[in-house]
Amino acid sequence: MIGNYEDPRKVFGKAVGDLAMDDDRIVLLSADSGKSSGFGDFMKAHPERYFEFGIAEQGVVGVAAGLATTGKIPVFCAIAPFVTARPYEMVRNDLGYMGQNAKIVGRNGGISYSDLGATHHSLDDFGLMRLIPGMTILCPQDPNEIRSAVKAMIEHEGPVYMRIGNPKIPNLFEEEEFVIGKGRKIREDDSVTLITTGVATKAAMEAADKLAEQGISVDLIGLPTVWPLDEEMILASAKKTGKVITAEEHYAYGGLGTMVGDLLAEKLPTPLKKLAIPNTYATSGPYDAVLSYYGLDAQGIAKSVADFVK
Amino acid sequence: MDKKQLTELKLQATRCRLNVLRMVRAGGHGHIGGAFSAMEIVTALYFYKMNVDPQNPRMPDRDRFILSAGHKCLAQYAALAEKGFFPKEVLDTYGSLGSHIPGHPDMHKLPGVEANTGALGHGLSIANGMALSLRLDGKPSKVYVVMGDGELAEGSNWEAAAAAAHHKINNLVAFVDFNGLQISGRVQDVMNMTPIADHFKAFGWDTVEIDGNDMAQVVDVLDRAPLSDKPLMVVAHTVKAKGLSFGENDVAFHFWNANEEQLAQAERELSELAASYEKELKGE
Ligand SMILES: Cc1ncc(C[n+]2csc(CCOP(=O)(O)OP(=O)(O)O)c2C)c(N)n1
Ligand SMILES: [Mg+2]
Repeated sequence: MIGNYEDPRKVFGKAVGDLAMDDDRIVLLSADSGKSSGFGDFMKAHPERYFEFGIAEQGVVGVAAGLATTGKIPVFCAIAPFVTARPYEMVRNDLGYMGQNAKIVGRNGGISYSDLGATHHSLDDFGLMRLIPGMTILCPQDPNEIRSAVKAMIEHEGPVYMRIGNPKIPNLFEEEEFVIGKGRKIREDDSVTLITTGVATKAAMEAADKLAEQGISVDLIGLPTVWPLDEEMILASAKKTGKVITAEEHYAYGGLGTMVGDLLAEKLPTPLKKLAIPNTYATSGPYDAVLSYYGLDAQGIAKSVADFVK
Repeated sequence: MDKKQLTELKLQATRCRLNVLRMVRAGGHGHIGGAFSAMEIVTALYFYKMNVDPQNPRMPDRDRFILSAGHKCLAQYAALAEKGFFPKEVLDTYGSLGSHIPGHPDMHKLPGVEANTGALGHGLSIANGMALSLRLDGKPSKVYVVMGDGELAEGSNWEAAAAAAHHKINNLVAFVDFNGLQISGRVQDVMNMTPIADHFKAFGWDTVEIDGNDMAQVVDVLDRAPLSDKPLMVVAHTVKAKGLSFGENDVAFHFWNANEEQLAQAERELSELAASYEKELKGE
């Protein structure tokens, strides 16, 4: 139901578990991380397809590649930096280069492990994963999208990285089929294009409402697939508005803003502003406080957009 | 070591545990289990063995403490505060925006912290580098490392284990806080890393097994190190959440979302324990 808050980890774990109950190609992998990823029920129902490796993320990625070579569909979920930055070369070579059909899921992504400090933040995961040829990056924006993205991720042939968050989030959209690479036009308007992904979308929607009151009409695009980009939707909007602004829980370098910038520079040079975390080891504190500190709450986004269109 | 000195150290460990509770009270939560199991080790290092100076935290000849299992940082913060590295009021900022004591230690935010840990499996290699460098410079300094038992599953530890033995890094003393638990359950069920001492011995280390919550045994092993030209691994058998009467050896207290009732109980019990040590020291 729209507006209903759900725990992203539980939604994710149940969605994978439900599919795995009926599809014995799916195997779930844990690095002391499975229960916190919502895999508890599946683990009890099918211990033979649930593998625990302890705190050894690099090894687990290698194992995932091996399992995939014989037609299994491994899903490995743990804290986002520990499935991206830490085993990076294993993801690149064993999954990317070898072209293996394994699914890597980073939970507590972005800066949602806000008070645990920079070792636990993943503000570079989009950038790292995008540099791996053949990798798909998903970052669903609400619980309904997590459910449908899980299905699309399993059906997709090839390596996928999906980022989910930590605190409960509300349903923003009705559940519908997830098409990898397709953006969601949330608001159709003409003075500025605002592009977001993941949990930043909720703040962007609220910001767009505030801006409408000020007479600034936002063409709002939510991207549950970060990579590959929905080029068509982005270019059409940029052509219409002539101004593009991105908002994301990632570094300004290498993230969605950079990907959009690359696209625009090549195909339709357009002024671009990137709202993101500056290139620093982000501060710690309560999640909402940290987001607002970096201007990524609704108020901060609204202010930046207003300044940009001025 | 005489009985009085030992009682003083036990009192310090209790005060440090109370400091941990103070941070949990401020932030509402914290990784208490691993902080409390390692408290005797951390206390003995800061209050008995290590050459560190709170007035001069970057003194070149200091001993180094590397908390490889960075989530145990409440133990280190507690000891640093008790030792005078920073004002105790900082403990009350745990969990707040921009705090100098984040959920994992940051050397750029707090004096006395030597490495930015929190991603498990980094500490031992960093310590190897520090120890090699201190040896090259002819310093008397030692490097002390505290690791978790679950953490041993990270392969990077075994690269470091080989390197420490290969280069005969005997100004290095590492502790495994062998509390038998990690996040998902018992270490032997999640990924069995036993026999820990035999593994390190096979890599070329000296090893000693102690009761890591027995202050006398911790002090004794610190006085004996190094045993030879090899690095020393102390396998410290401990109880997770030691000193939290209702949480000991319970995996649910790896990370504690504290409720007021339990927090108040823990504060009361540990304050009583501290008072009894103080009484003993006054000869009453
Ligand atoms: C690379 C990495 N993977 C996962 C984690 C998440 N994590 C934090 S503590 C912990 C369990 C640690 O268990 P153990 O080493 O036994 O520590 P202790 O029992 O002393 O708390 C895990 C998996 C992490 N901090 N770093
Ligand atoms: Mg342990």
